[in-house]
Amino acid sequence: MRQIAKTALAPALPENAPAPTRHAHPDMARSSLTDARPGNSRWPARLDLLQSLSGLVLALFLVAHMFFVATILISHELFYNVARFFEAGWLFGEPQPVLVSMVASGVTGLLVAHAWLAMRKFPGGFRQYRAFSAHRSRLRHGDTSLWWLQVVTGFALFFLTTIHLYDMVSQPQLIGPYESADRVWTGGMWPIYLALLFAAEVHGGIGLYRLAVKWGWFVGDDANAGRRRLRHIRHAFSAFFITLGLVTLLAYIDLGRAHAELAGERYVPPGHVAVDHGKH
Amino acid sequence: MITLFRKPKPGAAPRRLTLHILRCNPADPASKPYLQAFELEEAEGMTLFIALNEIRATQDPSLQFDFVCRAGICGSCAMLVDGRPALACRTLTRDYGSDITLAPLPFFELIGDLSVNTGKWMRGTAERLQTWIAQSEAVDLDALEARMEPALAEAIYELDRCIECGCCIAGCGTAQMNENFVGAVGLNKIARFRLDPRDTRSDADFYELIGDDDGVFGCMSLLGCHDICPKELPLQTQIAFLRRKMAVEGLR
Amino acid sequence: MEIIHSDVLVIGGGLAGLRAGLAAQKRGQQVIILSLVPPKRSHSAAAQGGMQASLANALKGAGDNEDVHFEDTVRGSDWGNDQEVARMFTHVAPKAVRELAAWGVPWNRVEAGERTVIIDGKPVTLTESADAHGLITARDFGGTRKWRTCYVADGTGHAMLYAVSDQTIAAGIPVHERREAVALIHDGERCHGAIVRNLIDGKLTAYVAKATCIATGGFGRLYQATTNAVINEGIGAAIALDTGVVPLANMEAIQFHPTAIFPAGILVTEGCRGDGGLLRDVDGHRFMPDYEPEKKELASRDVVSRRMEAHIKAGKGASNRFGQHLWLDITLLGAAHINHKLREVKEICQYFLGIDPAKQWIPVRPAQHYSMGGIRTDAHGAARGLKGLFACGEAACWDLHGFNRLGGNSVAETVVSGMIVGAAIADFCASPDGELTVSTALIRQCFERAQAEFGAITNHHGKESASLLLREMQATMTAQVGIVRHGEAMNAAVNTLQSLLLRSRDLGLSGRRGGADPELTLAWRLQKMLKLALCVSYGALQRTESRGAHFREDYPQRNDADWLKRTLASWPDAGQTLPTLAYEPLDIARMELPPGWRGYGTRDAIEHPLTAGRQAEVDATRAALAGSDRHAVQAALMPFRHLLPAHLRGDNARLGENA
Repeated sequence: MRQIAKTALAPALPENAPAPTRHAHPDMARSSLTDARPGNSRWPARLDLLQSLSGLVLALFLVAHMFFVATILISHELFYNVARFFEAGWLFGEPQPVLVSMVASGVTGLLVAHAWLAMRKFPGGFRQYRAFSAHRSRLRHGDTSLWWLQVVTGFALFFLTTIHLYDMVSQPQLIGPYESADRVWTGGMWPIYLALLFAAEVHGGIGLYRLAVKWGWFVGDDANAGRRRLRHIRHAFSAFFITLGLVTLLAYIDLGRAHAELAGERYVPPGHVAVDHGKH
Repeated sequence: MITLFRKPKPGAAPRRLTLHILRCNPADPASKPYLQAFELEEAEGMTLFIALNEIRATQDPSLQFDFVCRAGICGSCAMLVDGRPALACRTLTRDYGSDITLAPLPFFELIGDLSVNTGKWMRGTAERLQTWIAQSEAVDLDALEARMEPALAEAIYELDRCIECGCCIAGCGTAQMNENFVGAVGLNKIARFRLDPRDTRSDADFYELIGDDDGVFGCMSLLGCHDICPKELPLQTQIAFLRRKMAVEGLR
Repeated sequence: MEIIHSDVLVIGGGLAGLRAGLAAQKRGQQVIILSLVPPKRSHSAAAQGGMQASLANALKGAGDNEDVHFEDTVRGSDWGNDQEVARMFTHVAPKAVRELAAWGVPWNRVEAGERTVIIDGKPVTLTESADAHGLITARDFGGTRKWRTCYVADGTGHAMLYAVSDQTIAAGIPVHERREAVALIHDGERCHGAIVRNLIDGKLTAYVAKATCIATGGFGRLYQATTNAVINEGIGAAIALDTGVVPLANMEAIQFHPTAIFPAGILVTEGCRGDGGLLRDVDGHRFMPDYEPEKKELASRDVVSRRMEAHIKAGKGASNRFGQHLWLDITLLGAAHINHKLREVKEICQYFLGIDPAKQWIPVRPAQHYSMGGIRTDAHGAARGLKGLFACGEAACWDLHGFNRLGGNSVAETVVSGMIVGAAIADFCASPDGELTVSTALIRQCFERAQAEFGAITNHHGKESASLLLREMQATMTAQVGIVRHGEAMNAAVNTLQSLLLRSRDLGLSGRRGGADPELTLAWRLQKMLKLALCVSYGALQRTESRGAHFREDYPQRNDADWLKRTLASWPDAGQTLPTLAYEPLDIARMELPPGWRGYGTRDAIEHPLTAGRQAEVDATRAALAGSDRHAVQAALMPFRHLLPAHLRGDNARLGENA
């Protein structure tokens, strides 16, 4: 194959004694390559795009999700309304918690896909693991070490998120100030959420940064300055969401502890009388 | 360089340096890699080129290493200095502590001690990626040259400055795990020829060369290459640019 | 004994070797190139400032052509060169630049409109024509009447080497890297290839070829202070000398580059001065105009180096703890220019001196830079003495440069001579003379002799240390056979070198490593280098005149009457401790440009009796052909195109000429 390609692309020199056969180059190059083997598959490009895209969607979901759950900091009622909003009672007349199940399932699917795509890049076997690990400790290089953190948090997220998503798929209706707070405290989920918070915000921050660097977004004319800027944004992102997440989680823990005696009671916003929510 | 800049105090006694050098002779099957320490007195403006030659002249004439230009332009002398790839000839000892560890570049075939066969790998990569101007027309040597925008010529030179030292490969996490990866040096060359109007290849042709996980899609954007490149090539932006172009090609 | 066959064996993977190999291969010959290092690491990459070719695109190059380039080259050589070769060269140089452009060299281009440049220390505004926009531009270099040096920032050699090397890869020419030719296979009349040592495992192999081309570059490492790479040890020339029948010419003609950073000896390009940089002394005074009111910093390299040394000797040198030096000031060019056009210089200053050349002056002092001499060849690159042996590039004395070469002419010579010699090699291979007739007995004999050379060193267990002898040789050469020479000092140098040569036959190795032990390699090379050093110093001692870069305090005048001739050094008997010298006169009767004043430097030459007569002839021919096409005038004075391969004979196009 290589030999054919070479002949096709051989430099054109005037001193060629026997005039070499010259080909209209681009077609020739392609045909000489395709003669010997099928053209490069388009899948590596697609998979690379999908990995980035799935990561981006998950990160955006993460951001939105954080803001939604943080509404508890404003008022119980606001959070209640947000939760109900996603059940789309305003559209169908009746709240449809199954919609939340569906979204949660979708996110699960995306997560699995993202994990699978990303795992293609993970060390395959002990030899590669050892090579990378030695490389990382030798090099003492920020972005290389960050990738390792990405791998570790990615692993953690895969398991932690699955637990959380299972809850959301199986009990979509149990999202509300008391319901959620009970899950956090009485249900004993807070350690999971705490770990999840750190893993997700770190992984998301690094992931978005990597995405920008990888595709050359928001880099500007001076790549080094652009990257420094992105690094600052990444730090700010992780710090902001971890802080917001911690405060929010504390709010749920606080509420959960206060509501522990009555655990299982559903929240009813002021002015609503019906115990069966949604039927009024 | 991230290392601290240590200027000697005027009048202070010169430092004693200890160079810990990873020795190995692959030609001798009994040879096992080991670190050997060499002591020498630091001189003003001492580079690793000077230090290693002094060691070879006065302490161990069998020590193997590669230098050619000793001016930072030929790319022969890349090695790991305290774990990071660098051009030894222009590495000043005063920028380091009094203990300096030297090891050969990983990834490449070891010839002996600090000498690795980067040339063989680079030639193989050039053949694999067809890194030359591919053109169909014979050059008319008597005619005026084809015109080119001055800014474009400068932009091409910017990428043409690669010296094939191998630092980017040694600094690449992907290459440590995938020995078929073409690395920043390979991708930068494709970017260089892609930019050059004298090369008649299209993106579809380039996709055949780098459109897979051994090529641009194998890059995980760890940017060790960009941060270590002794010529400060814009590898980050070039690889990102190629990735976009090849992704578009992949969607066709 | 392993034998590898090819049509053509090129020894040396720098620009000259690669280009010659390509040319031979394109004419249908099978080529193998040997290289000490990966070819892209060759010293050709160190050519920073540019390559001369009379394209005449830039405003300050207007009116330039082969004639002007030819005259500059002959004057630069101090009439020591071969004028036919200089004609061939100046004619092909534009073709070479254009070919390289097509192969991807990103030559800097003319930008139409106004731009500010520094000329003679002052900013000047030039307006480049719209016609020339996008064509290859040029910068000023020393010893030239036009801005003729085509450049790629200050990485010209690098860009050229990469483009040519990539073309050899495209052409599928094998380059056997980390191989050193240690002896030529020959019977005293015909060369059949070389015995080659693998620098990885130390094994010897016989490479048998119809034609062998030596393109191993110069021998700067004979000197302590040199801009040359560590691989420039002249071994290619040395193995030719070892045959006893191939002479080395003008070995005493050594160029010293004015601006090597002090004390490391690393080159900063002549482009620094070409672009407007100044030389200053300890008081910050710009001293060159005092000596050279006409060309100032941009006189030829031999003149500037000599003036610098004289100025230091007059007590005007700045000093640091390593010794005396002068300053190169490029601060007036501005950071923007330095960042774009002098990047490598900036990096070198940053890494090796810890200074920013846009703000601080660069400490410089002349250092050995180039060897005009080498294996004596004819105009086609065929070496004298052995059929089937060729040489090109710095290793050869094709004799383009005579006793001083102009900046930008050597990197141009590599590709131009590669194009010409490569074609000649292919033609030789295709001719009846090229038939391979070597016997295996001869190959074995040469192989065993080479093997014995190494064996003699490893088994001798003498008391001398190769690295100590090497240092002594280098110190002797720099101190006593340097820029300013004197009979007494050179006599002492010759004696020292002779005793070093004898001592080098009593080396002892510590013998710690088998295979390609660097210690053995050094010991073996040392003996060859000492012979070259003796050719240089003994030739210099015998040449009792000053010409170009060969300057003698005791004989300060150029003496055309006695010394318009080439030194030929050979080493017929291995037991000799001095080369055998012979001389080859230059034929004034055939010169297009008879000897005269260079236009810079001292004007005190002793005239040759035939000069005036030839000058009258030339004047008469010019007068008779007044008004004729310049090519016709030139052809009447000294025809040369018949010496070129057919595809290189055509007229060059320029804006307003054949375009």
